[in-house]
Amino acid sequence: MNETTQHTYETATARIEEVIRRLDSGEAGLRETLDLCKEGRELVEFCAGELDAVGQGLEELKLDELVARLEQRPPEAQ
Amino acid sequence: MTEQARPEGIPGVGFQGPYAVGVYAKTLQERMRERARVQLFGEVFNMRRGRGAKVYFELRDGDGAVPCSMWRTDFEKLGPAADAVVDGAQIVVAGGPDYYPGSRTSSPSFSFQVTGVRVAGEGDLLAQLDRLRKALAAEGLFEPQKALHRPVLPHTIGVVTGEGGKARDDVLAGLRRRGWGGRVVWAFAPVQDRHAAPRITQALQDLAAIDEVEAIIVARGGGSLADLFAFCDETLCRTVALLRVPVIASVGHHTDRTLIDDVAAVSCSTPTHAAESAVPLHCTEARAAVARCAASLQRHGRHAVVVRARALAQLSRAPAEHVARHRGRLHQWLREIRAAGRRGCERRRGDIRTRAVVLERKVGAAGGPDAEARRARLDSLAAAIGAHDPERVIARGYAVVDDREGNLITTAEAARQARDVRLFFADADVNATISETE
Repeated sequence: MNETTQHTYETATARIEEVIRRLDSGEAGLRETLDLCKEGRELVEFCAGELDAVGQGLEELKLDELVARLEQRPPEAQ
Repeated sequence: MTEQARPEGIPGVGFQGPYAVGVYAKTLQERMRERARVQLFGEVFNMRRGRGAKVYFELRDGDGAVPCSMWRTDFEKLGPAADAVVDGAQIVVAGGPDYYPGSRTSSPSFSFQVTGVRVAGEGDLLAQLDRLRKALAAEGLFEPQKALHRPVLPHTIGVVTGEGGKARDDVLAGLRRRGWGGRVVWAFAPVQDRHAAPRITQALQDLAAIDEVEAIIVARGGGSLADLFAFCDETLCRTVALLRVPVIASVGHHTDRTLIDDVAAVSCSTPTHAAESAVPLHCTEARAAVARCAASLQRHGRHAVVVRARALAQLSRAPAEHVARHRGRLHQWLREIRAAGRRGCERRRGDIRTRAVVLERKVGAAGGPDAEARRARLDSLAAAIGAHDPERVIARGYAVVDDREGNLITTAEAARQARDVRLFFADADVNATISETE
């Protein structure tokens, strides 16, 4: 999962498309296919997580409220 | 106008009155019209020609402004010069202050009633704006924002707009249209008047200081160029240009071009579009696309294993199938060889028969017409020879004698001399010894 945590949504989706193109080509061997499927599944999970993060309903905050909330956050969490 | 009962004034206040407001408004109108007619010069802003009886504009300079109105008939008398009276034009107007007192159903208004116009040149304010635009461009300040990475799926978006403006609702509508449900941080600020630019600048800096904010929308609805002038402020534009967060500007309508539109990462025609530009990804469609990718990956993984498993199973059956195939082929060949042998024998048998018939015919032909006679002659000769055959004589009771060495003995003398003789009978031979002597 270290690799996927370095991704942004754009890079993750671009890599997924690349993986699927390679799989669609039918040129990948069994080992490569299984590795690509594993990588692809991890990236899909990452993307689904990103979408879930903006799928919980729109949250509106005023700037002051956000600043206050961030100030209340314990230092180790920041 | 109905007469109204005059109420009591405010206790302790020594001013005259109270007067009915309509009476006062008309008096105010008269006082305004009594004031001296003068000439003013300044820059035209917010020119509105409309279809009504009057045309309206503002006359501005760096220190103040006056709302102006002019009867359409007077304005059209200007001829071609009327077309030069546009936003940014430097003009001289003649006229004086006027006041429209309004009524129960219409609002009062103050304006400088213009009776004459002379176009003096391009306005200073727009010229200044143009000079500032060129200076910022020359410093390369239009580029930094455009080089910033804009995430397609930001989690937190900052929005600078007026608290009560319609732009706020439009931004929310745009975000919802994208199916986006992240966090919106509002930084409300006045969006017109002289306090607007510093407050907007501060709001942008505050939002950019928060790590979580990944994009900032600056939104304001339509208005005159004068109303939008706050977004041409030099400090504001320089601040935007150097922010670490991409700014999406939506100020005024698409025909308006403020300086913030030039320095921002993206310039949009409406707040709704600005919101959609802040979240380029359509989240609902993206969820469907991710689900399709997941299904595709699963299908590929399963397919890769199943196909290879089938191939392996087929390979494992291959040797037995190979042997069976060859056995079948051998059996077939055997059947074909047998059939071919039978066909060959039949063919040869037929050939031989044909040849025998031919030979028989040839033998018959070779005998010729005397064959029967020759055969009868041969039969008589054979009968003659048979009559002299010793075997036949013996068969009649005679015996043949030899000396046991194959020499026939035909006389008694010879028999005596030979002494040991052999007698041949029809069925066998018998040795005998001659005991008689002479």
